[in-house]
Amino acid sequence: MRAEDERYFERIESRLDEAFDRAERAKGMGYDPEPEVEIPVAKDMADRVENILGISGVAARVRELEGEMSREEAALELVTDFVEGTVGDYEGRAGKVEGAVRTAVALLTEGVVAAPIEGIDRVEILENDDGSEFVNVYYAGPIRSAGGTAQALSVLVADYARSLLGIEEYNARTIETERYAEEISLYDKETGLQYSPKDKETKFIAEHMPIMLDGEATGDEEVSGFRDLERVDTNSARGGMCLVLAEGIALKAPKIQRYTRGLDEVDWPWLQDLIDGTIGKDEADAEADADAADADTEAADASESGGDEEHGDGTEEMESGDDEDDALDGRTGPPRLDPSTKFLRDLIAGRPVFGHPSAEGGFRLRYGRARNHGFATAGVHPATMHLVDDFLATGTQIKTERPGKAAGVIPVDSIEGPTVRLANGDVRRIDDPEEALEVRNGVEKILDLGEYLVNFGEFVENNHPLAPASYVYEWWVQDFEAAGAPVQALGDDPAVDLEHPTPAEAEEWATDYDCPLHPDYTYLWHDVSVAQFEELADAVANGRVVGAEADGGLAGTDGSAERAETSDGAAADGHYVLELVNAETVAETLENLLVEHTQREETIRIPEWRLPVRSLGFEIGEGGSIGRTWDPADLSPAAREWDAGDSAIKAVNEVAPFEVRERAPTRIGNRMGRPEKSESRDLSPAVHTLFPIGEAGGSQRDVGEAARGRDEQGRRGVVDVRVGDRVCPDCDAHTYRTTCPDCGTHTEPYYECEECNQVIEPDEAGRVHCDRCDRDVTSPDWFSIDIGEEYRRALEAVGERESAYEILKGVKGLTSADKTPEPMEKGVLRAKNGVTSFKDGTVRYDMTDLPVTSVRPSELDVTAADFRELGYETDIDGEPLKFDDQLVELKVQDIVLSDGAAEHMLKTADFVDDLLEQYYGLPPFYEVEEREDLVGELVFGMAPHTSAAVVGRVVGFTSAAVGYAHPYFHAAKRRNCDGDEDCVMLLMDGLLNFSKQYLPDKRGGQMDAPLVMSSRIDPSEIDDEAHNMDIVRQYPREFYEATLELDDPETVEDLIQLGEDTLGTDEEYRGFDHTHDTTDIALGPDLSAYKTLGSMMDKMDAQLALSRKLRAVDETDVAERVIEYHFLPDLIGNLRAFSRQETRCLDCGEKYRRMPLTGDCRECGGRVNLTVHQGSVNKYMDTAIHVAEEFGCREYTKQRLEVLEKSLESVFENDKNKQSGFADFM
Amino acid sequence: MPLETPVRIVRELAARGYNAEQAAVTLIASTERPGRTLERVVEHVDDAALRITAGDVRGALGDPAVEDPPVSTGEPASNRTTEDDDRRDTSPEETSETASGVGGERSPRNDTDGGVDTSTSAVAGGGRTAAGGGPEHGSPAASRTADPSLRSLEVDGDVTGQSTGTGEYGDFVKVFRDRYEKLSKQLRGRVNHRPATAIQSMSGGTDAAMVGLVNDIRSTKSGHWLVELEDTTGTFPCLVMKDREFAGFVDELLLDECIAVEGTLSDDAGIMFVDSMHFPDVPRTYSPNTADRHVQAALVSDIHVGSQEFEADAWTRFADWLHTEEAERVEYLLIAGDMVEGVGVYPDQDEELDIVDIYEQYERFSEHLKDVPGDMEILMIPGNHDAVRLAEPQPGFDENLREIMSAHDARITGNPSLVTVEGVRVLMYHGVSLDEVIAELPEEKASYDDPHKAMYQLLKKRHVAPQFGGKTRLAPEEKDYLVMEEVPDVFHTGHVHKLGWGKYHEVLAVNSGCWQAQTDFQKSVNIDPDVGYAPILDLDTLDMTVRKFA
Repeated sequence: MRAEDERYFERIESRLDEAFDRAERAKGMGYDPEPEVEIPVAKDMADRVENILGISGVAARVRELEGEMSREEAALELVTDFVEGTVGDYEGRAGKVEGAVRTAVALLTEGVVAAPIEGIDRVEILENDDGSEFVNVYYAGPIRSAGGTAQALSVLVADYARSLLGIEEYNARTIETERYAEEISLYDKETGLQYSPKDKETKFIAEHMPIMLDGEATGDEEVSGFRDLERVDTNSARGGMCLVLAEGIALKAPKIQRYTRGLDEVDWPWLQDLIDGTIGKDEADAEADADAADADTEAADASESGGDEEHGDGTEEMESGDDEDDALDGRTGPPRLDPSTKFLRDLIAGRPVFGHPSAEGGFRLRYGRARNHGFATAGVHPATMHLVDDFLATGTQIKTERPGKAAGVIPVDSIEGPTVRLANGDVRRIDDPEEALEVRNGVEKILDLGEYLVNFGEFVENNHPLAPASYVYEWWVQDFEAAGAPVQALGDDPAVDLEHPTPAEAEEWATDYDCPLHPDYTYLWHDVSVAQFEELADAVANGRVVGAEADGGLAGTDGSAERAETSDGAAADGHYVLELVNAETVAETLENLLVEHTQREETIRIPEWRLPVRSLGFEIGEGGSIGRTWDPADLSPAAREWDAGDSAIKAVNEVAPFEVRERAPTRIGNRMGRPEKSESRDLSPAVHTLFPIGEAGGSQRDVGEAARGRDEQGRRGVVDVRVGDRVCPDCDAHTYRTTCPDCGTHTEPYYECEECNQVIEPDEAGRVHCDRCDRDVTSPDWFSIDIGEEYRRALEAVGERESAYEILKGVKGLTSADKTPEPMEKGVLRAKNGVTSFKDGTVRYDMTDLPVTSVRPSELDVTAADFRELGYETDIDGEPLKFDDQLVELKVQDIVLSDGAAEHMLKTADFVDDLLEQYYGLPPFYEVEEREDLVGELVFGMAPHTSAAVVGRVVGFTSAAVGYAHPYFHAAKRRNCDGDEDCVMLLMDGLLNFSKQYLPDKRGGQMDAPLVMSSRIDPSEIDDEAHNMDIVRQYPREFYEATLELDDPETVEDLIQLGEDTLGTDEEYRGFDHTHDTTDIALGPDLSAYKTLGSMMDKMDAQLALSRKLRAVDETDVAERVIEYHFLPDLIGNLRAFSRQETRCLDCGEKYRRMPLTGDCRECGGRVNLTVHQGSVNKYMDTAIHVAEEFGCREYTKQRLEVLEKSLESVFENDKNKQSGFADFM
Repeated sequence: MPLETPVRIVRELAARGYNAEQAAVTLIASTERPGRTLERVVEHVDDAALRITAGDVRGALGDPAVEDPPVSTGEPASNRTTEDDDRRDTSPEETSETASGVGGERSPRNDTDGGVDTSTSAVAGGGRTAAGGGPEHGSPAASRTADPSLRSLEVDGDVTGQSTGTGEYGDFVKVFRDRYEKLSKQLRGRVNHRPATAIQSMSGGTDAAMVGLVNDIRSTKSGHWLVELEDTTGTFPCLVMKDREFAGFVDELLLDECIAVEGTLSDDAGIMFVDSMHFPDVPRTYSPNTADRHVQAALVSDIHVGSQEFEADAWTRFADWLHTEEAERVEYLLIAGDMVEGVGVYPDQDEELDIVDIYEQYERFSEHLKDVPGDMEILMIPGNHDAVRLAEPQPGFDENLREIMSAHDARITGNPSLVTVEGVRVLMYHGVSLDEVIAELPEEKASYDDPHKAMYQLLKKRHVAPQFGGKTRLAPEEKDYLVMEEVPDVFHTGHVHKLGWGKYHEVLAVNSGCWQAQTDFQKSVNIDPDVGYAPILDLDTLDMTVRKFA
């Protein structure tokens, strides 16, 4: 590690230590459930694994093994340690297996996700029918977050431990085998599996599995056949077990086999049959299917190993080049990828389609990585964001055609913007967001959505064949250089703009150097047919060059082409325009070519006409006269038949005096997915204090109200709630509080066995078990708490008045094991500062994740001085950091807060300071006045389904509603950026207020809680998805050429440096170069229109209106899909739900599967009512019919709606009491 | 050839948009040049006419034009020239196939063969000349000696036009109360029942009995069964010990069916130990009604016109056969739902449709129906593929669809309907609940291979779709149309596309197969449908013959 990086981490850690010290002092007062900070720091993965598991000694052993072998091998190696007892002190054999299995899963998931603690319930040793013993592993639902490979290996680890311990294999009874099969198909039907093994396959696995897979019930639906088995204690589907068997063993058989081969003790020969795919098929077609099955498994494997296991859902469909197909059907043309319609599936009302699959007018693929680009993101021009009626904003998720499935949208203004036709007939490219806003109301048609920036790494990550690249500046300039041009010299010439040359320069370069025409003047000839091309040539031949100021043709009355006025060349470029007779087809051709022009009633005027005309094979003579150089007969048959005549690119190259490349061969369709997110995470209803007040506070759980109210016995402010019984170690007083009411000493939970009244101490693992009565002992008991007194005491303790806030909300009851209430003082201060608590006592703020590798202090609303203070010394080019707009490479743990998050963090900081001063009596920690004061402060970043927080440092703010951070920071949390969101917490808040004692005592309760924190990111220990990000300034010419052949990304991987190339070197924390800049990382609208529009109907109207405007979108198809995927399922689903619905008592909430014959509630006599009403069934009916009509949907769709409408009438209208019509009175 | 002639005439008329009385067809067939006659008849009749009567034919024959010199090409040729449909071109071949098929496949599984005998005798008696005739028309009768005046067909329990429910909570309560009322009536005489609330206050150890809807069924840890019964006052838990001889009944129980139990209350009076269990059931002594004359009904269902898998050829063979002497006693055609394949029944259905337009599907169905002799009485109920509401009871087709299918003047009623045909009560029900019965019950009690056994269960429960909240959808009406208040003599369903029949306490249960070949979906779940079967029921004996046309 470089000294600079070391300093950076030390800086973070020293601030962390400072916070830790203060927090320890505060906690030491004993006011909290535990007298110490409950989030241990993990310096590396080994630490995290140990902390998450709570098994001491694991970390040291993992570190030892890490250097020598792979993580998977280390997991197996650790089995020996557990069995021999050198790691973990387990007495029983079951415990040893359990420890080994949990450790294996934790290791394989980098100690971040909750699967090892939540996904494995326990391990038991049971008896086979022959009296021998076998191992039973009891899985739970959260094992899902471990991913297939870790799931499968957990089984192997259990088996290895079993064999080392000399326990026999599990012999499944036939009924158990059958049960597995029935249960897995039930689970697949109910919940869905990524891979659905056939019954035969399941049975085969069950028969051969050397250990028993078991688990807890996760669904309500029960198996019907194999019920009430002796060794299976539920009739419902066991979700964890199903996942492990289907997505683990069945799907990952080849991976497990790799490891079984290396172990002498375990032998799973039957895996080969699974891998061969011969199970579950008839003999006859077994052979035929074997290859296909093989390919399936491999594909699944590839996507899994490449992808984040947590997010990967299903195998990728690989599109392959169609060049071979083309050859077969005799059609000539360039290689292209087949359009994929997958992203259009399940289109939702209100979320627009931006482009149909590979449709002309859609986004044009450009390769490159902008600085705010990373894994699963897509660069879009901010002008496009505005022009699609603000539906796209920074962080909005889109479902995309390729290369991945979804991406987060980021603004990049160094790519080309959209081209539009305005109501006044102007066809313009809009490269400025301001201009986009100005013209937006006048946009008649969006002819082209502009470029769409995707980085090479994205194709590597998705293992997607490269799509043909657009001809762009960064490619052209390499061609230019290769052609022998003095690029260096021209670049240094202040009079020359290489990136945007004048037409004359472009023409000169193209002809003099035999280099393809500059992309700025390369039009989309491949999007017009040869016929259109010829028609345009004819139109140009009949056109005339007129003075730009001339209005209507007065200046150019005599034959244009030979006009003398255009004698000087400069005039021809600048002051004269080409005027054509307006014909619809000519206008359309120009629009498709993206040639800027103006359409008037009679004429079309093209201001920048020189190169379009040259490309059409015209000569511009002395004085600007234009003359055609070719006859239709000159076009070769090959040019005419290229791409079946649909592409004029060959024709252009035959008639033009220079080479013209394909400007935009790849269009990428996409549609909106989720909107971006930036909002505080509140429980529902919001909670200020985790103090229970029963029903007393009303539906708001208002503590003030509870304190004033009277209960049934007339006691004021007294509620009976179940809270943990605690005892004072000094004076033996019993209380529910964390401090002794008599002497102020910190109290501890009190466990008394209900049967024998013996006081039990928790064992090391935290279990409290009465051995005499063989039962688990818990501490909660019923207490009558005087809320009024508690409330007054809390206010007094922190010196606040009730008027300091509007309301203090508590909770109804506690869900944690020991039911330890939080000191109400904390709630008072939260209410005062306007923040609420999450279930674990922390204050959280959610943001969509986006990556950024370089920033400008100015765009983050901070200064270069601030940045220098943070330890930034140079900009990306190594120049000293002096100015606010210098580009600086972001450090891995630095994050940018959204405006909303900053405001929320300020409130949290105030709350934390108040807490320290007014409750703990310690000096404040933050002392923030304005948000600039937050710069340099530490936060926790944490993703759902994980149990490890990552420490981050605030370096600035953005108006985009997202959390920008280094891609490695997101990957350390196990997130990617395709619209994922997660939360930040202020460091001190987490240290002071988090307690495991608050976590719900149910499956999944430990998820989403910071059980451990990583203080520094090791790039080797993060989700390897992030390693596929490319980190170069320029892609080589060979890369662009490879894309035209649809090569696999591996073929050029060596040419472009990826993050993984620097892993483990001194360079691993720096050098994240990008190919494209953007002015600001928060361009475009701050919020997607999806969030600013009101009702679903408004959103849908806007969606359909946009679909009419976009050339790349077939609005009928959109309407059709909205009806098909949103309205019809809703209508059908609700109608079905109506006719077999549950009912519920309005008074006590009791549910009934069927309407009680008594009519009233059998529990309380209250009113029972339906759960699905007419209103919710037919809410979309009229809209759907209207949309179907207006957008000309298929008869089939209309008739489906018609039939449904009649069904609704039939169910909800009385035949004998129909609304009478006119005819009834005649 | 003589066999074909009426069929060809009917087809030719259908192709021109006419339906014809059997007598009219016979008249045309009996002329020297039927083709010529047909042309005359068509010219003669009023443009608005849909149905050609014997009177029309006679009118046309009276026309001197008939006397014109015969055209030498003859009838078959003239037929051929007007034919524009491929199907018809191949019809002679198929027809002969059918003839042998019918002979060979006669009553493939059933041992009754009354139908065959009678039809043979009918041929002898009727011959091919016109003889006798209906008094109303005073016209010569066809080879089919149908006498419409002898027929009777009444419909009961039809929700069509009676759907008064508006989807309120109260409607649901009403329908279940009505179910309880009607079914508990069947059980009350058999046990000395007490309301749930009364049982709740009885003391431990006493004997008790209760009639209730099954509210919940659970197995206990020790393998016994806890059945919670509900009546209009409340619920009471009843325990069926696994070792009782009737414990097997629990396997057959469906939620929300009505049963009676007798037993003893536990010591704490919290539960009843069941000693006996009773179902509404069909009385063992039940003796079914029969028709007074020898007359037959064809029971078919699941035609699925519009599906790519619709077996048009099989249907044509069936229709052709109905024109034969053998079939002359078949005067009724009862169709148990799914006339067409429908639209939007399952996702992406349009890709598997031969006719995508729902109205065209019904038009085509109507065309196929015209192949059936015009003098047959036809009755049809909708199924889950039809364009009516899915929730049961389903009303019959609306005006628009009736209009499309008006040519044959078929009776259209709701699903279910109790149809009394010359005294024989035929309960027509499409059969959606069979899926649920088959899924819930053990295989030996109900399976797709023996659909009639699932039907026995429904007869035993005296309800066509007891379980609420599962696969069957319920539309609440003021009464429970799905209860079998009266015992039917014949129970006719379809839906599962499997042929099966048998008798349960003397009640004939028939599931009549389908006219749609195996679909991809069926292939995927390994269902092999029974295609092209027409069970022919003797209404005077309730014996049945199954004919195969596929």
